[in-house]
Parts: sequence; structure tokens; C-alpha cells
Amino acid sequence: MNSKKLLLVGDNPFHGISHLSQERATSRGNDLAHPNYAADLVRKSLENGADGFMFTVSETTLSILRIISKGEEHNRPQLYAIVPYAYEFVRLAVLAGGVPGLAMKLAQQIAFSGNWKAIVNGLRGVIGTDPASLLRSYILYEASRLKSSAGKKAALASILLHEVVTDMALALNMDWLFRTHIEFMLDCRIKPGFETRNFAYLVKKFEEWGIDFRGVVIAAPFNALGFQMCPSREECEKALAKTSEAEVIVFSILASGYLKLPEAIEYIVNLPNLKGVAVGVSKKHHACETFKLLKEKLR
Amino acid sequence: MKAKVAVVGLGKMGLLHASILSVLDDVELVALCEKSTLVRRFGKRIIQGVSVVADLAELCGMGLDAVYVTTPVPSHLPIIKAIYTKGIAHNVFVEKPLASSYAEVEELCNLTRNQGGVNMVGYNRRFSVTFRKAKQILDEGTLQEPSFFEGYAYSSDFLGAKMGSKTSSRGGVISDLGCHVVDLALWFFGQLEVESAKLESLIGSDSEDSAYFKVRASGGPLALGGEFKSSWCMEGYRLPEIGLLIKGSNGTMKVDEDKVELKLDDGSSFLWHKHDLGDDVSFFIGGTEYLREDEFFIGSILNGSNAEPSFQTACKVEEIIDQVKRVKEKSRRNEQ
Repeated sequence: MNSKKLLLVGDNPFHGISHLSQERATSRGNDLAHPNYAADLVRKSLENGADGFMFTVSETTLSILRIISKGEEHNRPQLYAIVPYAYEFVRLAVLAGGVPGLAMKLAQQIAFSGNWKAIVNGLRGVIGTDPASLLRSYILYEASRLKSSAGKKAALASILLHEVVTDMALALNMDWLFRTHIEFMLDCRIKPGFETRNFAYLVKKFEEWGIDFRGVVIAAPFNALGFQMCPSREECEKALAKTSEAEVIVFSILASGYLKLPEAIEYIVNLPNLKGVAVGVSKKHHACETFKLLKEKLR
Repeated sequence: MKAKVAVVGLGKMGLLHASILSVLDDVELVALCEKSTLVRRFGKRIIQGVSVVADLAELCGMGLDAVYVTTPVPSHLPIIKAIYTKGIAHNVFVEKPLASSYAEVEELCNLTRNQGGVNMVGYNRRFSVTFRKAKQILDEGTLQEPSFFEGYAYSSDFLGAKMGSKTSSRGGVISDLGCHVVDLALWFFGQLEVESAKLESLIGSDSEDSAYFKVRASGGPLALGGEFKSSWCMEGYRLPEIGLLIKGSNGTMKVDEDKVELKLDDGSSFLWHKHDLGDDVSFFIGGTEYLREDEFFIGSILNGSNAEPSFQTACKVEEIIDQVKRVKEKSRRNEQ
């Protein structure tokens, strides 16, 4: 492994997520949801080798960014932002009485954001029934939320579409969505990205649609167990071997806590075309040990 | 041969099933039906190669093998009736719960008896690897005779919700969330009868936000008692969680969506995470159980076999919910 791998702190523990068990997530306690504590963990990770922070854009993570942005400039992370925060959208839809109610709420938020580019794109989208304009409007709105929290000097490396959006768009053959996001992000000089649980399927579809992988970030689960690697570990590995031009960042390397870090690294260190790793940490000593070891083994 | 399928209702669950159906090899997703003009307008632009229609009548003549109904619960009865009476399709999948009341569910069951075809209700936890493992352990008699169980279904969906939030369209916490664990208990233990019940309103005066009820096995040799707890205002349940603790004459088993723990009286214990139980699917969206559920329903249509949980099976869930409401009403009258 000669090329430098990007090491990112993941945000799942800060949202109370453990894919191993809900019980485990609850038992971690409330400290993790506290932005100061979470920001300390991100800082600790950066001090020990992490390059950046991969997170879904939510009130919790925006608060963390506000705290980090006050730190020294050299210690600011590269930001890999995932939108939308699907859990909050589902909850909003539940409280607003369905998808039309959610759309109205979101439209209100964009309208009151004061971001004129987002508002104009949104209006164009609604009047012309143009989903591409609506997507641009939404991304602009999220980008402005990010900048107002992380500061103008923040290193916003990539905006990735959340797995729920990516995987639904893949299934429903919405190639326009992938093309729109890639083109728009490249125009904004931000790396376009997609989070997916169906990595092999995404690679197959991009090839079928003739979408160029160059400069595209793809975040997907990879681990020795094949946990959440659809349709199988073998198929995902084959697809990875074909995607030298994409910036593939792997997550779930610990199979949600089922594997120990050394055995997790032993697997990913041999993956071809791997460009980065995202790992969540829940304690300060985890942050130190995890990123020290990743740095040692992957660089 | 491919099954030609339409989805009625383009909310969260409609989009989820439409996505899954689109990637299944033996399915052709033909049409989507949605009454909201806004959603339909964008649906037509966003999803290519599929008809997006406003009215059920427009599905007539499409030669559909099956229709998925994923609309709000109060509309299930009229939509399913229309699907059968207009001859739109013989096979129907409906998201849980089947209908708004026990009377409506009985009406639907009578209708399907005359119609034939495959029908299924989206009690998807039966397709989760952990609950399947628990069912296998019970069927093999590892616990010997079950004597007691505790079932729970919790979420934070309405935690901190303002008074008057739109919970009514979801029919109360048992119909919306608790029905999953009721279905699992009926699947595990057979017929149950409600002994006592307590329903609480936390958000609005007519909402049912928290439920506790006791049951006893009926119609069998089991001396089994159980209790259910359900709330959608619980702290710390970012994702809904459903689980059961089961005590038998030979040990105890705990099962939830993540794992199965078995402790036997001889001191041996076993733990299976979903990682250990072959939780693989060809396409992941929403959760592995959704894809398995849809594969099973479509497979049943193509093979000409029955699908479970059928409308008849779901009727038993509604019967329990109806009993809870009647027991609660009776105790309220007694208090007055």
C-alpha cells in the first residue's frame, strides 16, 4: 500500500447508531450526542492521523462543525458531507403527514434560508416541474447550512447523496439524478459523491449509463465478513477492482463492531483501488488507537 | 415469466416497494398510482418507463398480476375492494395494518375468500433473520413448553411531538407499531386472548400513544401468558425496535431485530447476531427483510402457492387490537 489513504472519522456514534445492536447504541450513553464531547473526539482523531470528518448533515453534526471551526486552521478537517439526513426526513414526513407535507416543510426552510440561488433553483424546479433544478436547490441549501456552521474557510471536500437516495435512484433507473449531481458539484468545485449499500450494482449501472467515475466519491461498506455488502463480498470486490478512477471510501470495516480493528485492517489493506476509510469512534482512547493504527497500516 | 405489478400510493413505503420491485428479475413494474397532483407531476418526470396515473380505474386493462397498496390505512378497504371489483388484479399486497378496524378487516377477508388469488400483509418482521431463528428454536422445542412472554415495540417517532400532531392517520400506536410484535407473538404461539389493557394518550386527547396489555393463550394446550408494551414516544429509539423475551420450561430466549440470545437451564447459552444468520440480500434498501418479503410474495404468485402473513392471518392481529380497545372501553365504563 503505497498511496496515501484518506482517513475519516464517521459520525454514526454521534447519532446513537450501532448496526450491531440498538441496545449497544443506547448503552453508550448520552455523552456522544453532546456536540462538545463529539467535537473532542473528532479533534482527537485528527491529532492521531485522521484527515477529515464524514457525516450526515443534521443539527447535531452542524453543532460539532461550529465547535471545530473555532479551532486552529491547520487542524480543520476535510469535510465529507452526506445529504439528506434520512432519519430526520422520515421523522418530518411522519409529523407532517406524508411526502407532500415533507416537501412543503422543506420548501419553507429553503425559502426562509435567504439563499437566493437555492430559492431561484427551487422556483424554477416547481414552476417547470424540473427535478434537476429541485436537486440543485436542495444541495445549495445544504451547502449554505454547512458553510454557515463550519465557516467560509472550511474544507468542504465532497457532498455525497445519502444511501436512501442513491439506492432508490439506482433501483428506479434515475440516471439523470447521478448526472445532475456530478455536473453540478463539479461546477461548484466540490467532489460529487454517493453513499450506497449496493456498490456492485452502482458500478454496473454507471457502466451501463456511461457515467465517468473520475473524481466521483463512492462510500460503501467493505469488511471481512461481507456484512451489508450486497449482493456479496465477492461481487463487491470484483466491482472495486474495476473502479480505479473513483475515490472509493469504505465504511462498516468493523462490521458494526463485530470485528476487531486489527482483523478489519488486515482485510481492507489488501483491497485494490481503495482511496479512503471512514470509522466511527465513541471514546477518546478509541479515537487515538484507531487512527494511530490505521495510519500505521494504511500509509 | 415476469409478474406485472403496480404500486398504489407514492409515499415512503410506496417508493420503497417500487424500488425493490424494480430490481427483482421476475417483476415488471408497470404503473404507479398516486392521487397527489404534485407527487404525480414529479413522479412522471423522475421515474422513466413506468406509467404514473391518478386513478385506480386507469390500472384496468394493464394486465396486472398484482397490486401493492401502500396508501394511508383508512383508504385500504375501498382501494382493495376496487382492485377486486374492477378486475384490476387477483393478487394484492397491502402494507400493514390491513385496515382501520376489525369490522373492515373481516369484510376484506370475506372478499378474498370469494376472489381467490394470493394476498399478503406487510408484517415484514417475519422476514428478519433473527425472528426466523427464534421461530425455528421454538418449533424445535429447545425451550420446551413456553410459559410466559413479554413483547415490546418502541420508537421515538412522536417523542416531543406537539399536541395535535398527525397521529390519527396512523391509527394509534398498537395499529402502527405494536401490530408487528402482536403478529410475531401469534406466529410464535398461535391464538391469544386479551385479559386486560391500558391505553394512554400523551400527544392528544384522542390519540393512542402508549399501550400495555396482558394476554393468555387460547384454543390450545398451552398454559401461556404474556404481555405487550408499546409506545412511539420513548426516548432513545431513533429506529423502531421490536422484541420478545420468552420463558420456557427449559430456559429463556430474547430476540430483537439485531440478535437472538438463548439461555438454557443446563447452563448453556447461545448468541446469534444477524451477521451469523446469513442476513444477505441481492439488493439492500430500507432493511433486508423488505426485499425478502417482496421476493416471497412475487414467488408465491408465480408458483401458485399461498403467501403468509395473508389477510386471514392479519385478521387475527386486528382481532387482538379490537379486543384491547373493547377491554379498555369496558374498564373505562366501569370506572365511571
